[in-house]
Amino acid sequence: MLGELEQVVLLATMRLGDEGYGVTIHDEISRATQRDLTLGTIHKTLVRLETKGLVESRMGEATPQRGGRRKRHYRVTPQGLKVLRASIRALRRMAAGLAVGLEPS
Amino acid sequence: MTHTPPRLALRFLETFLPEESRDAVIGDIVERWEQNGFGALRFWLEAVQALVTLQFVRPDSSAFEPAQRESFLQGFLSDLRRGARSLARAPGFSLVAIGTLAIAIGATAALISVANPLLFQVLPYPKPRQLVMLNERMNDGSPGNIGYATYKDLREGSRSFTHSATYGTWEPTLFGEQEGERLRGLRVSWEFFRTLGVQPVLGRDFVREDDTPDNLNVVVISHSLWQRRFAGDPNIVGRTIDLASATKPTVIGVLPASFENVLDPPSEIYRALGYATQSWACRSCRHLRVIGRLRSDVTLERASRELNPMMKRLAADHPKTYPGEGVIVERLSDRVTSSTRAIFGVVIGAVALLLLIAAANVVNLQLARAARREEEFAVRAALGAGRGRIARQLFAEGLVIAAVGGVAGLIVAGVALPSFVAVLPDTLPRLGSIGLDATVLAVIALLVLFVAVAMGMFPAFQAGTRSLFSAIRAGGARGGGTPHHRTRSGIVIAEVALAMMLVIGATLLGRSMLHLLDVDLGFQPSGLVTMTVESSGPRYDSARKVFDHHDRIREAVLRVPGVKSVALTSQLPLGGNYDAYGIYLRDGASDVPVADAQRYAVSWDYMRTMGMRIVRGRSFTEAETRDTALRVAIVSESMARRFAGGDAIGKYIRMGGAERPWSQVVGIAADTRHEGVDQGEVRQVYVPERHWYWEESAMILVARVEGQASGFVNGVREAVRGVDPIQPISRIATMEQVVSRSIAQRRLGLILFVAFSAMALLLAGAGIFGVLAGAVTERTREFGVRTAFGATPASIMGLVLRQGGTLAAGGLILGGAGALLLSRYIGALLYEVKTYDPMSLVLGVGVVAVVALLACIVPARRAIRTDPIVALRSD
Repeated sequence: MLGELEQVVLLATMRLGDEGYGVTIHDEISRATQRDLTLGTIHKTLVRLETKGLVESRMGEATPQRGGRRKRHYRVTPQGLKVLRASIRALRRMAAGLAVGLEPS
Repeated sequence: MTHTPPRLALRFLETFLPEESRDAVIGDIVERWEQNGFGALRFWLEAVQALVTLQFVRPDSSAFEPAQRESFLQGFLSDLRRGARSLARAPGFSLVAIGTLAIAIGATAALISVANPLLFQVLPYPKPRQLVMLNERMNDGSPGNIGYATYKDLREGSRSFTHSATYGTWEPTLFGEQEGERLRGLRVSWEFFRTLGVQPVLGRDFVREDDTPDNLNVVVISHSLWQRRFAGDPNIVGRTIDLASATKPTVIGVLPASFENVLDPPSEIYRALGYATQSWACRSCRHLRVIGRLRSDVTLERASRELNPMMKRLAADHPKTYPGEGVIVERLSDRVTSSTRAIFGVVIGAVALLLLIAAANVVNLQLARAARREEEFAVRAALGAGRGRIARQLFAEGLVIAAVGGVAGLIVAGVALPSFVAVLPDTLPRLGSIGLDATVLAVIALLVLFVAVAMGMFPAFQAGTRSLFSAIRAGGARGGGTPHHRTRSGIVIAEVALAMMLVIGATLLGRSMLHLLDVDLGFQPSGLVTMTVESSGPRYDSARKVFDHHDRIREAVLRVPGVKSVALTSQLPLGGNYDAYGIYLRDGASDVPVADAQRYAVSWDYMRTMGMRIVRGRSFTEAETRDTALRVAIVSESMARRFAGGDAIGKYIRMGGAERPWSQVVGIAADTRHEGVDQGEVRQVYVPERHWYWEESAMILVARVEGQASGFVNGVREAVRGVDPIQPISRIATMEQVVSRSIAQRRLGLILFVAFSAMALLLAGAGIFGVLAGAVTERTREFGVRTAFGATPASIMGLVLRQGGTLAAGGLILGGAGALLLSRYIGALLYEVKTYDPMSLVLGVGVVAVVALLACIVPARRAIRTDPIVALRSD
């Protein structure tokens, strides 16, 4: 079972395909959830997901933007997909049949 | 986008972020900044937060995390973090442990701050171990002052010293733009500062040529006097100052601000001694002190072997002058600390005991906590953690507790220190150097480490002794005989014993204090006002003018309503004065030395004003105090006993050198305590002030008043000031304050001891309580069974009390034995109380027993309230 933050970060990374790195993931999350997480929190979660083998990362090339610092691109691994699916399924099962408004619309 | 992100924040991130996430994280934050997503504040917030989450809080160490080999340091750091977290989850335990340590460490730090400069580094001079003090050995073995002629002979004959100097006190009055001020100073032979190894920071030191008879042309002043009276005038060297003498002396040097005169802490001004052939440069005029700096190849013993035969030869040449006992050569540091060593030794002992108790208590708390966490340890052991690994974690927890306790203790010490220093007598050397310095910090750091090791070691030994299986199977219901209990009980017994030692010490000191307060001082201190009055300057250039001034002062004060009688004296009992002379008895044609005695030159009415008893004979008549033809003296009882046959009345005595006149003893007065309330033999001689060879420029006024002395202080002072407004008036106090100040050091010792014992009792009580409460919890099931089988509440209570009683009794027996040991060190501080005082022992046992009983009550009550049904169901 994944933590809530892990789920959100995994989902955001999935939505971004190959474009996922700190800033875009942050954008994605704030757009969908209206939560303004710090970049440090997102990175910490990504590091944790990577140690669990749920995401993988590669370093990008240096560009003139962002002080010439390279980006770390993240992608969800097949294992990550599996765990995420199980986690969401579990959530659905927990929510099923409860008061109106909790069912997936 | 040209604005740059906050550089300091960037630098922080670059320095502290782990390598692997550095670029990605900093890049992301900067990118947001460039998009104008973040302001400066948010940038900082992001930076700090990233640092904290990525560097200091490691990504969650859940079981999924692959096992990594971590370095010892990394592991220890994570232990520290884990320790801090686990302590934060147990705030009760943490607060009690930290509070306990804070008090004990605070007391220790404060005491070390005081003791270090006062005892261990008392001489702030280069190569302090070379410095010695030289004294004549008197008949009773005590160190006596040295006459100038004696010093001169020893100095010329000795080869042990690179430098030596002799000095006496000097109290000039400084006039100037401000009000006249009486200064404390020294008359020193020219090598005085060279002997100490100090050089003036401005101007020059004395040279041999300055040290000529009656030379009052040059003075050296302290940095404090330079700042205070001369506003730090950079041209002070070469300036003349007004000391109300015929010639105005020139300032030739200013001592460095760092110079502390431990020989006479209040000294601010120095003149050359200038003795050569004057009559007071004789052998029996013992009013100088001698210091020397040993050559680097000369030991104390060798110097003593050289000087003693020299002194014996001098005694053979002048048999009437010297007691013939040789000299005492001792380290200056020993001499300077002689008055404080006993009290500080004992107080340091007390604080060490308190510290031990506190450490024991904290270890005990940790043991109790470890007992509750036994399953956790057993599981960790089963998962491969060795005993060392668990010990490391416990040590880390201990270190967190001890370090926080240590810091809190330093804060306690920092807050308490100023008020502690304020109650120390200001005659102690090096008071200005007291503070929480590097030495104190180092000692406290060591203590913290020691406590942390103890907190890690004891529980770790316990943790290794039980197998996983038994720990888990046993659940929470353990019996009373486990090793845990034996260790914890042992520690509690030790605590009770240590507390008992402190309580007995406090009782002994307290009883001494009661005896001291009960001492017959030989005079009536209540209702007496005292102050030092002066007759300095050109208006008082003859003896007659000085004595007239004294008479006018007495008349003026007598006119103050409520003042019953007034007198002047050159010395005040317990006033910190010292003015002793050798007393000789006329025996037919020859004169025989009797003993040294404190010389009091007094005005008319002194005995009656002080409320002294005349034991035999009579007091001075008013005619005798005015007429110098009738030479009379009164001696104290102790002094009278020194005369052959114990009868002094009618005898003729001489004070000091052979050329002095004889006075007839007309009365014997009760001893008035001079150096201290606890002084046994007080040898005193009183002479009317006009009979002495010179007039005193400063005298102490005593006025007996009706009612509270404090209410008359202002009136008396104004009356004195009215006689001559420019004369300084100093040391204004009631006699009761003078007496109280003279026992201040003892009172301080007593207060500290009482405070330490109270804390010790509290901690020992808490220790007993902790062990019993734990035992009662663990024996709930047993008590339930017993109650179910018909045990009465009284018998259950008996079980608990017996356990508590055993702890207390063990502690009392050990503590009694320890107190006997302690008593040997405390002996020097006792007055009229035997070291092995049965009364104190009984009191000590009583107090500790009561505290132990109180500590038993709550657990015992909880035990009898055990409901058998609940108890049996408790698993």
